[in-house]
Amino acid sequence: MSRFRRDGDVVVVDLPSGERDMLSQVLSDLRDLLIDGGDDTLRRLKPPAHLDNGEAEASYRELVDDDLLRSRLEAIETVESTLSGAELDTSAVAAWMQSLNSLRLVLGEQLALAGVDLVNQTMPDTASAALYEWTGWLLEQLISAASESPEP
Amino acid sequence: MTAPVIVPETEIDESVAYARPWKVLVWDDPINLMSYVAFVFRKLFGYSAEKAHRLMMEVHVEGKAVVSSGTREKAEFDVFRLHEHGLWATMEQDE
Repeated sequence: MSRFRRDGDVVVVDLPSGERDMLSQVLSDLRDLLIDGGDDTLRRLKPPAHLDNGEAEASYRELVDDDLLRSRLEAIETVESTLSGAELDTSAVAAWMQSLNSLRLVLGEQLALAGVDLVNQTMPDTASAALYEWTGWLLEQLISAASESPEP
Repeated sequence: MTAPVIVPETEIDESVAYARPWKVLVWDDPINLMSYVAFVFRKLFGYSAEKAHRLMMEVHVEGKAVVSSGTREKAEFDVFRLHEHGLWATMEQDE
């Protein structure tokens, strides 16, 4: 059964309690990781803006890194406060998408660093791989529910 | 009317360089879902579902696509928003 469904102007979240607890746990882990900031698995959350210009890249990082972090932490907070049976407005939908995708980027990078070939989808039987597939499944459903309106 | 101003030659070159538009590229990556990438294009740039899908496919098949262009400030803002959404975006000045 789908975890998200459109109802008029909102998207309704309907997660079983086990999945709510799981999501709450991994979001809490993600927050710690983001605040700590040094982990290799965060690489995909801070891609370079300038490929061949170190000076421009340094000034871009200076300009945006705090805002990127704040935006991600706020999105996590929004998800946490709407975990149980909530109705998501457009900005809450965006926060859910951003957070689920951040989780996937971190989990995917963990898998890639462990030597998993993400393109060929040869997923190992590990907790990271299961979480990666589950967050992708949730994100796909949320996109589908959100896309039912004329404009995203 | 403004009186003509004599500008040193080096500054002329710089202002010409500054006027060249910047383009924003999104690169293919193995993690972001295709549906998500298309959704982000619609949301951030107001593109139609068709245009967003076409750009997403270009990223997927060609490895990259130009998704917007404009002044350096606009490009920087677009790259920031794409990064905020977890997409692999870069900016470069048109040759």
